[in-house]
Amino acid sequence: MSAALRRYGGGLPARIALGLLVPLALILLWDHQARHGGEHAFAFVSAAQVAGALRELWQSGDLLTAYGNSLRNAFGGLFWGSVTGLAVGSAMALLRPVDWVLTPLYHGLRQVPLLGWLPLIGLWFGSGDLSKVIVVSLSAFYPAVLYTYEGLKGVEARMLEVGRLYRLTPWQTFWRIRWPSALPSIFTGLLQSVAFAWIATIGVELLFPTGFGLGTVMQHGQLQARLDIVVVCIAVVGLTGFAINLLVARLSRHALRWRPVRT
Amino acid sequence: MNIDSRAAVRTPEQPALRSGALQLKEVRKRFLFDQRELTVLTGLNLDVRPGEFLSIVGPSGCGKSTLLRLIASLDDDYEGHIALDGRRVAGTSLERGLVFQDHRLFPWMTLEQNVAFALIRRDMSAAARDRLVREHIALVGLSGFEQAYPHQLSGGMSQRAAIARALVNEPKVLLLDEPFGALDALTRVHLQTELQRIWMSQGSTMIMITHDVDEALYLGDRVAVMQAHPGRIAHIVDVDLPHPRDRAAPLLHRLKDDILAELTATDAPRGEAVVPLTRRRPG
Ligand SMILES: Nc1ncnc2c1ncn2[C@@H]1O[C@H](COP(=O)(O)OP(=O)(O)O)[C@@H](O)[C@H]1O
Ligand SMILES: [Mg+2]
Repeated sequence: MSAALRRYGGGLPARIALGLLVPLALILLWDHQARHGGEHAFAFVSAAQVAGALRELWQSGDLLTAYGNSLRNAFGGLFWGSVTGLAVGSAMALLRPVDWVLTPLYHGLRQVPLLGWLPLIGLWFGSGDLSKVIVVSLSAFYPAVLYTYEGLKGVEARMLEVGRLYRLTPWQTFWRIRWPSALPSIFTGLLQSVAFAWIATIGVELLFPTGFGLGTVMQHGQLQARLDIVVVCIAVVGLTGFAINLLVARLSRHALRWRPVRT
Repeated sequence: MNIDSRAAVRTPEQPALRSGALQLKEVRKRFLFDQRELTVLTGLNLDVRPGEFLSIVGPSGCGKSTLLRLIASLDDDYEGHIALDGRRVAGTSLERGLVFQDHRLFPWMTLEQNVAFALIRRDMSAAARDRLVREHIALVGLSGFEQAYPHQLSGGMSQRAAIARALVNEPKVLLLDEPFGALDALTRVHLQTELQRIWMSQGSTMIMITHDVDEALYLGDRVAVMQAHPGRIAHIVDVDLPHPRDRAAPLLHRLKDDILAELTATDAPRGEAVVPLTRRRPG
């Protein structure tokens, strides 16, 4: 732990408390607005109402069902997007003809915002779970390709030379030198893929009306002017994103434990 | 593989099989640089005796590293003839080991994995491999650090590890490119003593580049002095002292004065600058 943090009373509990400071202040402010906000009060709901909505959604089972569906789409999309992204990024980095053919195309397609694909994907694959997984995959695919490509291209020539000295086959060179050397970059990509995949999951649920996920619940809440439900969904989405991110960061730190700790 | 049979007949004190003779004839190396041709080595002749320790000193940029890269076949594009035990070298080989100035350990591998890396293409049982790795880690005095990652090792320890990796194949020729150049003086002296001990116990032919004349003389059976523009071997000094040596030996000091006089006489006006490259940029 850094000296600066230790000076502020250090320790994990202290850090968590510090991190909660601003959110708690905002919640109090919100609650105050809801109860004493005068003409603006309708745009806010009190903490008690939100707690009530949470209990209601929990008891009906809606929250759990929606949460499960959203997570399934998110992880499905994340998996397919990352795996194809890794494969395409590797092929682009390692095979010169693939690089020539695909890299310009990739950079062109990347300029189209994800939302721009929705009408087309809806037309081709309908508005069911398949389309949703495809959209989520796309959002995870782009960073996976980019960071795999950059990582594999960035392998130092001096490291490859050691492989040449000890007569490694191309396959051995890939697995023993190129891949581990690209891993930090690939994990950076994965962290982005995870974040984008989760955002895309909720986004596409808001835009495609079929199915039943957190985004759907959120939209129903909006239509019924149930702001308390919307707030519950926002909180669950935010906390989940935070947790997944933390998990992948941990995973990455473990896989890259050979790196010196930066201070 | 004949490396194994060679290892089997060798006893620590007295290398039995005298292979590892390296012969360079009229070696010439040119680089194409900015559409200009740069002759780095020319007319280079050298006979390295089996089991000998040859030091090479010379001004910076005179082509020392280039020479080692040619011998290791990391660079195949040269004119002339380079042969090991009478066979022309072609492609990198486990018979010719190389220690770089920067240790070039893989940061994602433990010390043990880094040393074992050199054995990837060797056909041997896991047990035999483990034993070789363990022995060579012990040889360079790093037992106990098998599971350490390179960032956990000091500069001196990393360089020892690099030497263990190069030696684990028991190469006929070990090439060392300023292996201690980046180390502090004390560590350097320590590693020189270690390297002398290792060389005496191994019987590999060793060719070491250094910019430290003391180091060259302390370790070398002979010291080749190179000159620049274009790079060639000016002459070779015999260091007629048995190993292990005493650093205070008067002969070493006398030879040092001679070599320093020669190096400074040929290179003083130009310092360390490489003339063709500095001339390239106007202003
Ligand atoms: N790949 C290369 N392309 C062009 N010039 C090179 C290359 N490698 C080395 N040189 C040139 O060859 C000369 C000798 O380099 P080097 O062998 O590294 O010298 P030394 O090891 O003696 O300091 C230098 O002038 C250097 O600029
Ligand atoms: Mg050099």
